[in-house]
Amino acid sequence: MTSRRDFLQTLAASGTILLPGHALAQANPKQGGTLVMDVLPEPPTLASYLSTSGPIGQVSAKFYDGLCEYDFNLKPIPSLATSWTTSPDGKTIAFKLRDDVKFHDGSPFSSADVQFTFMEVLKKFHPRGINTFRSLQAVDVPDAHTVVFRLDTPAPYMMMALSGYESPIVPKKLFAGTDIQNSKYANNPVGTGPFKFVEWQRGQYMRFDRNPGYWRPGQPHLDRIVARFIGDAQTRSAAMQTQEINYGAFGAIPYFDVARLTKIPGIASTTKGYEMQSPIVQLDFNTRVKPFDDVRVRRAISYAIDRKFVIDNVWFGFGKPATGPISSNFSPSGIYTSDVHNYNVPNGTDVANKLLDEAGYKRNADGTRFEIVHDVTPYGDEWQRFGEYVKQALAKIGIKATIRYEDVPTWLRRIYTDYDFQLTSNWLQNLADPVIGIDREYSSWSIKKGTVFVNATGWSSPETDKLMKDAAVEIDPKKRADLYHQFQKLVVDAAPLVWVFELQFVTVYDTKFKDLVVSPLGTYSPFNAVYVES
Amino acid sequence: MSVARDRARYIGWRLAQAVPTLLLIVTLNFLLVHLAPGNAADVLAGEAGSATPQYMAFLRHEFGLDQPLYVQYLDYLRNVVSLDLGYSFREGMPVRDLIATRLGPTLLLMGTTIVLSIGLGVLFGLLAGTRPNSLRDNVISVFALVSYATPLFWVGLMLIVLFAIELRWLPTSGMVNIAAFYTGWAKAGDIARHLVLPAITLSLFYMALYVRLMRASILEQRGMDYVVTARSKGLTERAITYRHVLRNASLPIVTMAGVQIGNLLGGSVVVETVFGWPGIGLLAYKALFARDLNLLLGVFFVAACLVIVVNIVVDVIYTMLDPRIGLR
Repeated sequence: MTSRRDFLQTLAASGTILLPGHALAQANPKQGGTLVMDVLPEPPTLASYLSTSGPIGQVSAKFYDGLCEYDFNLKPIPSLATSWTTSPDGKTIAFKLRDDVKFHDGSPFSSADVQFTFMEVLKKFHPRGINTFRSLQAVDVPDAHTVVFRLDTPAPYMMMALSGYESPIVPKKLFAGTDIQNSKYANNPVGTGPFKFVEWQRGQYMRFDRNPGYWRPGQPHLDRIVARFIGDAQTRSAAMQTQEINYGAFGAIPYFDVARLTKIPGIASTTKGYEMQSPIVQLDFNTRVKPFDDVRVRRAISYAIDRKFVIDNVWFGFGKPATGPISSNFSPSGIYTSDVHNYNVPNGTDVANKLLDEAGYKRNADGTRFEIVHDVTPYGDEWQRFGEYVKQALAKIGIKATIRYEDVPTWLRRIYTDYDFQLTSNWLQNLADPVIGIDREYSSWSIKKGTVFVNATGWSSPETDKLMKDAAVEIDPKKRADLYHQFQKLVVDAAPLVWVFELQFVTVYDTKFKDLVVSPLGTYSPFNAVYVES
Repeated sequence: MSVARDRARYIGWRLAQAVPTLLLIVTLNFLLVHLAPGNAADVLAGEAGSATPQYMAFLRHEFGLDQPLYVQYLDYLRNVVSLDLGYSFREGMPVRDLIATRLGPTLLLMGTTIVLSIGLGVLFGLLAGTRPNSLRDNVISVFALVSYATPLFWVGLMLIVLFAIELRWLPTSGMVNIAAFYTGWAKAGDIARHLVLPAITLSLFYMALYVRLMRASILEQRGMDYVVTARSKGLTERAITYRHVLRNASLPIVTMAGVQIGNLLGGSVVVETVFGWPGIGLLAYKALFARDLNLLLGVFFVAACLVIVVNIVVDVIYTMLDPRIGLR
C-alpha cells in the first residue's frame, strides 16, 4: 500500500507537482513555539559586557544587539547600525543608527547609548574590549542616530568585533553614574534584542520571552527560548533524544554520540556557525626549557603527529588538518595561506627521527632519547585520548612521555602562571580577527605571567612582532593579507607549537526548528529568525 | 513534663557544644580548600578563553585574592560568625541566597531517599532476617548486594535509558518541565515525576545498606534472652517480632542513618549531576572546579550544620526507642 506521503513524494520526484518547499515556508513562518537549548556550563552571570565566558554569549546574544551582524564571508552586515563609512586614513568611522529601536523597558535607543557603551563600558571593562578598542579615542554623537568613532591608529579588526555577542549595546540611562562592575542590571538585563529576559532559576533554567517591540518587523517568530544546564553528557544526549532539549552547541552532545543521535528521525547536526571561533587543537612547547628550546626538537615532534589519525579516531572526524597558526576559515578574507612549511607528511616519523639525531639526542640502550611530562588540557575525554595518542607517537621517535591530567584551575596555573610544563595539549580560538585571536598567542607583548590563554610557549621574534603590529593598522586588505602570509611562514618555521587540526564544533538540533544557524556566530546569534515548522 | 524539660536542656547543651566544633570545621575547611592550586580568577578568565593582564588584576582584586591568607581567613571568619557566608564571585550572588535556593531541592531529594531507603531497607531486612537462608532471604540479599555494588551514575543512566528514552514514562532530567511553566498542583505533580528517577537511584544504594544491617540485627536480636522469655510467655512470633525485636533491631539503623547523612550529601552530588537536579551537591561540585571558595565553604558549613542537627535528632530518637538510654 502506498501512503499519501509516498504518493506525493513520487509525484514531486517526477516533477508532476510542486510541493510547498522550504523557500515558501521561510517567507511566511508562523509565530509560536519554545526552543529549549542546552547551555554548557551554566553562565556565571549575564553581564556579557564584563565577561567573555562562552556560555554567557550563548544567551546574551538573544537580548543584547550589536551595531553589526556578520555574513558567512565574515563581512559585517547591518544590525543596530544601518550603514557605515570609513575615512581614507582609516581613523574615522561613522555609523548611521536605526531610529526605530526601543530597549526592553520601552526607552528609545540612541547614539548616546552607543557612545556610553563603547567608551565607558567595553573599552574599560570588557576582557577583550580593552584590547580591541585600544585605539578608540572618542565616540562623537553629531545627532541622535549617528555615531563617529575616532581612532588614533587605523584598526581594521575593530569592525569584526561589533556583534551583539562581542560588543553588546547597553542602555546608558540604566548604567551611567553607577558602579558598572556591580550593576543591578547585570543579571536583570535590558537590551534591544529579540528576546526579553524573564527569569533565571539557578541550576535549572533561564527563560527569555518574545520581545513584541523588536525592531525587525514580524520577528522573532519563537514565543520563548529556555536555556537549560545539564552537567552530564550522557543525560544531555538522552534529553536530546526525548526532545526535552531541542538544541545543543559547542560539544553539548559529545562527539561519539553525534552519529548515533543524528540517525534518529527529527535530529540533525551541523558544523556551521563557528566560523568566527576557529579553534585549533595544538601542542604547546615550553620553549624556555630543554629540550624544547631547540627548534629541531620542536619540528621533529611536529612531524611525528599524524593529524588524520587524530581527527578520525579521537574526534570522530570533526576537524581538518591545520597548517599553521591561522585557520583556513580566514580564506574568504585572504588572510589564510597554506603556503607554509608542511609537517603533515606520510614519512613524518622518519623525518622526526632524523631531526632528533641531528639535534644530538641519541637513543640510549632501551631506545629512549629523553623523557618528558605531557600535560593534558582538562577539557574532556577527547583530550585524554589525544594525550594517549601523543604518548604513543612520541614513543616511536624515542621520547618517553608521562601523561599528567589535572583539573582546570591547576592546569591553568601550571601553564600560564608557573610555566611549569614541557609539552601540553591546548586549544585556542582564532576568533574574528588575527589581532584578537593571534597576537595574544605569538607576540612578545603577550608573554604575561598570570594571564590565561596568552603566549605560554615563551616564543616570539622581532620579525613576527613587527608583522603583527603592521598588520593591525594596515587598512588595505590585500597588503594586510600579505603581512599575515609572511607571518604564517615565519611562525610555522619556528614551530613554537604543533598545529594539529582545526577543530569543528558540532551543533545538534531538533529538525522541526528552522533557520537555527544563519550566521558565522551560530549560537552567539540573536535567533530572531528561528521558527517552528508547522 | 520533666522528660520534655530534660530533652530541651539536652538539646540546648548539644547545640552549645556544636559551636566550637563548627569553628574548627570552618578553619580546617578554609585551610584545606586553599591548598588547591589555582584560583577563581584563573578559572573565570579561563572560561572566557581570553584575558588581559588588567582584567586578571581586576578579578584578583575584586575577589580579595591579592590579600594575605590570614586576612582572607579573618574576613571569612567574621562572615561566618555574622552568618553572612560571603559572596560568590562566580555566580554573582551572596552565598547565603544561593544556598537557600538550592537547599530545598536537595532536602526534597534527601528526604525522599531517607524515607524510601530506610522504609524499604527495614521492610526487606525484616523479611529476610525473619526467615534466614530461605529463598526469600536469598533473593533479597542478592538484590541488596547488586544494588550496593553498582555505581550510582550507572544505575542513573540505565534508569534514564529504560524509563525516559525507551518507555517515555518519565523525564530524563531537571526538576520541572522547563517549557511548560506549571503552577499549583500541576507543578507539584511535575516535580514528583521528575523526582522519581533520582530518588530511586540514590535510594537503591542506601536501601541495600539498611537491608544488610537490618537483617543482621534481626538475626542477632532473635537469639536474645528476652525473645526466649517472650516465646515461653506464649507470645506469637508475629507479636515478638513487631513488639520486641523490631524495636531493638532498629537502633543500629538509626545510628547508621545519622552517620549516612553526610555520605548522602556526597552521593547526591553524583545523582544531581546525572539528573541535572538543581541541588546543593551540584552547586558544591561546580564550586570546587571553579575554585569558588566562598561558595564551597558555605556548602561545607551548611552540610556540617545539617550533620550536627541530624545527630542530635538521632540521639533523641534513641531515647524514644529505648528508654534505658538516658540524655546526658
